[in-house]
Amino acid sequence: MSQTLTSDQKDALQEVTNIAMGQAASTLATILSTFVTISVPRINIPEVSEIGSAISKMVGNGKEVTAVRQSFAGHLRGEAIIIYGQEGCRDLADLMGYDEDIDQSAERELLLDIANVLIGACLNGIADILQTGLTFAPPSIMAERVIINSLIDPTQLTWNNALLVEVNFTLEARNFSCHLVTLMPEDSIERLKQAIDTFMENF
Amino acid sequence: MPTPILVCDDSAMARKMLIKALPSSWNVEITQAANGLEALEAYRAGKAEVMFLDLTMPELDGYGVLETLQKEGLNSFVIVVSADIQPLAQERVKQLGAIAFVKKPVNPADVEGLLRQYGVEL
Repeated sequence: MSQTLTSDQKDALQEVTNIAMGQAASTLATILSTFVTISVPRINIPEVSEIGSAISKMVGNGKEVTAVRQSFAGHLRGEAIIIYGQEGCRDLADLMGYDEDIDQSAERELLLDIANVLIGACLNGIADILQTGLTFAPPSIMAERVIINSLIDPTQLTWNNALLVEVNFTLEARNFSCHLVTLMPEDSIERLKQAIDTFMENF
Repeated sequence: MPTPILVCDDSAMARKMLIKALPSSWNVEITQAANGLEALEAYRAGKAEVMFLDLTMPELDGYGVLETLQKEGLNSFVIVVSADIQPLAQERVKQLGAIAFVKKPVNPADVEGLLRQYGVEL
């Protein structure tokens, strides 16, 4: 079954994510004590067979990445993944004033914190339009310094539908981008689409 | 005579939400713009006595619109409507001449209070 969104659904989901990301940026600005600008998030729901390649394409084929995963449950269930490009991680460490030999555990902690803020903001924003709440498991490091193409093996996915959200952040003068991938079972995607339709009928 | 107002946001959904949050008693003629360039065009055509302006937009963003308006002598009440609620963003737009900053999703009571505060007849 095709899970593509209508252009109205896409616009609505984009705006909901935009509002959520604005709140996330505000939280990040506090954590990082810097001004954070965000781009308009781009939303995509690829066909199941194309999830792996769609993610590689979004992040950039062959790119070295570090990823954090966090599962969620409730009216919607699934797993959210934040993918950081390796340069982004370095820039972040820089910004935080760590020297060259950044302590591994400090870097991990920072990446987990940021992932937690972004995933929480985005999914809670979506849960708000569903007028429901979600519970989150603590985030964990999924992979470190791996090539994007090997990050996700589509045949191993428990949740075989994906909602891709591309978010670009600029921290002061540095370009820092990261990507948010949400994997959900088909019934959750269906619920999400119904909720968006109901939400839009009210306007 | 209805007041010409402009609602500028790249999301059609966001424009709808904002228009719905305007006081129903306010006599207005609404023009919509999907980016900063369209907003400037409408402004120059005299369609923006009051402007509701999003910040994050393609083509020309809200900051760019405010900068251009300042250069052109700003003859409009600009209310910035944004999801980006960082204090620095609020400070920046006010320095650029916006009269107020409203957070998304827009609360109708906030908009009405703001308009009354500036003596807009509702």
